[in-house]
Amino acid sequence: MCAATRDDRAQKNMIEITVRLNAGLRRYRPALGIGEALPLHVPEGTNLKELLSRILQISPEEVAFLLVNGIKCSLDEPLAAGDRVALWPPVAGG
Amino acid sequence: MYNGYSGNILRVDLSTGAVTREPLDIQMAEDFVGGRGLASRLLCTEIDPAVDPLGPENPLIFGTGPLTGSGAPATSRYVVVCKAPLTGTIACSNSGGFFGPELKFAGYDFLIIQGESAEPVYLWISDRTVEIRSAEALWGEFPAATEAALRRLTRATAKVACIGPGGERLSLLAGVVNDGYRLAARSGVGALMGKKKLKAIAVHGSGSVRLHDSEQFWSATMDMHEKIAADPVSFGSFRAYGTASLVNLINEMGAYPTRNFQYDTFEGAANTSGEAVVEDILQRNRACFACPIACTRVSEVKDGPYKGRGEGPEYESIWALGALCGVSDLAAVAKANFICGDYGIDTISTGATIACAMELFEKGALSEKEIGFSMRFGDAAAMVRAVEMTGKREGFGEVLADGSYRLAARYGHPEFFMGVKKLEMSAYSPRVFQGMALQYATSNRGACHVRGNTVAAELYGIPRYMAPELLEQKEEMVRRPFQNSTAFVDSTGICLFTKFAITHREICALLTPATGLDFSFDRSIEQGDRIWNIERMFNLRAGFTSDDDKLPQRVTEPSPDGPRAGSRAVLHEHLQTYYQLRGWDRSGRPTRAKLDELGLEDWWGVCSDA
Repeated sequence: MCAATRDDRAQKNMIEITVRLNAGLRRYRPALGIGEALPLHVPEGTNLKELLSRILQISPEEVAFLLVNGIKCSLDEPLAAGDRVALWPPVAGG
Repeated sequence: MYNGYSGNILRVDLSTGAVTREPLDIQMAEDFVGGRGLASRLLCTEIDPAVDPLGPENPLIFGTGPLTGSGAPATSRYVVVCKAPLTGTIACSNSGGFFGPELKFAGYDFLIIQGESAEPVYLWISDRTVEIRSAEALWGEFPAATEAALRRLTRATAKVACIGPGGERLSLLAGVVNDGYRLAARSGVGALMGKKKLKAIAVHGSGSVRLHDSEQFWSATMDMHEKIAADPVSFGSFRAYGTASLVNLINEMGAYPTRNFQYDTFEGAANTSGEAVVEDILQRNRACFACPIACTRVSEVKDGPYKGRGEGPEYESIWALGALCGVSDLAAVAKANFICGDYGIDTISTGATIACAMELFEKGALSEKEIGFSMRFGDAAAMVRAVEMTGKREGFGEVLADGSYRLAARYGHPEFFMGVKKLEMSAYSPRVFQGMALQYATSNRGACHVRGNTVAAELYGIPRYMAPELLEQKEEMVRRPFQNSTAFVDSTGICLFTKFAITHREICALLTPATGLDFSFDRSIEQGDRIWNIERMFNLRAGFTSDDDKLPQRVTEPSPDGPRAGSRAVLHEHLQTYYQLRGWDRSGRPTRAKLDELGLEDWWGVCSDA
């Protein structure tokens, strides 16, 4: 399980999640402020790969760090209602 | 005939004015590489580690590596080694820019400054001409002004390393500043330079680095350039966002220490992120010598109360002056960072000391009367004011200028000191990054991330991914691919930031054609191990014991917030496993067998007979 905090907000077959795009990935939603959440309604059962390619239209190859509720996740993880998704391209520091 | 190395050590005695040149011992160079390793070895010859770190017998050693100035990518680094004024451990602070290569072009691998001057002086080195000149007129000047003045007084292209007013006033947070804004920041090395009344060193070199096999060297160099250019970190995020691209990521993970390590997430991270630096204050990038990456930020706050300009702020500086103090105003953080540059003081330890003062204040151990103003977490104006007072050593800044260990002890709360061996921890929570917990505990210069940045494995997957919370095999990871490898890389003169695109093996492949010496991979790991062990022996003789390999109690307790609430530092408890892997006894002393393996002498009788 990826999600550290989940609730039962799922209605019918759509769930609400939020996505934060960081660093170079911000260009996919340039209107969003830094750290601003993009609220999305996605079909229940959507996994991260589908979220990236189908909904956000970001190639998974561009994404180096994919966190759901602060925890690193793999692309086949299904999303749950209330999930907080955050994406980064390759970044590093020192 | 030396290749890679210039083959000379320049020794200047500020007490007598004597200037001498000594040949580099090539066997010692083979054993200790250069830079950090060789300067540490030279320090062991120069002094008994029990000396007073601010005494005249403690030398200040400037060192370059065999790759410094060679022209391979990012070969800008030089080190400043001495017994550390802040911590009493061995100190090795390093910096990029152009000063290190110029020292090499002037014909010197190492510069040993010994003794003390009675009056402020600067050193002018122009190839073989070395002069000690009065610096009365420069005393009190900021580094950028000092550099400009020295270029007028010496040569327009001279490269300068100096201290700011912080070093002059013996702040234990002071570093050595080169090329205007870059700091060899940690451990208080600038205080020793100030004690010696050495304001600056200006260097001009007309030579170059001679190579053993230039065809092979340049071929390896071109391969490295191609790898760096193809690397999305080196040519992508480092260029676009600098090191501060990590702010939001580490915060999102719940590993961003906040309000003096009381919490692990910061609500103001986005406002002070690398992305915000780019949008709000970035003017342009700047590169160090031969660096294709150019991660340095040149920035400016154009108006308002925090108007100012300079370089940075970097990830660690943003964190220490921001989240650690609860400050989410980027302009204030940038201003505090510029002030640290002007006074030549370490942003990490300065921010951490102010954070410690804020906690003392909020918990009633320190009054408004003592400080002169209220100092609560999140008060940007108070933070900036405190940084300036620290730099000036003025008012309560007199106390802040000696760091958080002494501050916390003075006000009866040693538990508010968030560091190890008197050095403040960095911007990666050891409650989350277990490798970093052990690294902070065992680092020879005190709690420091760059002596073994395990976050590379625990987040980026370099050399392979090991989840931050994992404990298995982490002791060996900390020891070998991080501490030993870093000790080696720090000794070569190449920047650690190349390691996102280039492997340790590829750095070895550059050293052999540069020097003509055997720098095989296995040998380099042994060299790193040898360097780590002499640093440890120095610390043992200086009075440190395994009791000092200890993290603050606070981070051993569950994290109160964020996605990893409940996690706590554990791996530092695995000291015995780590000692065993190192070939040390249960007290953390290298054994006789370990010394024999590394070909080391027990100079001070500090090692185990086991």
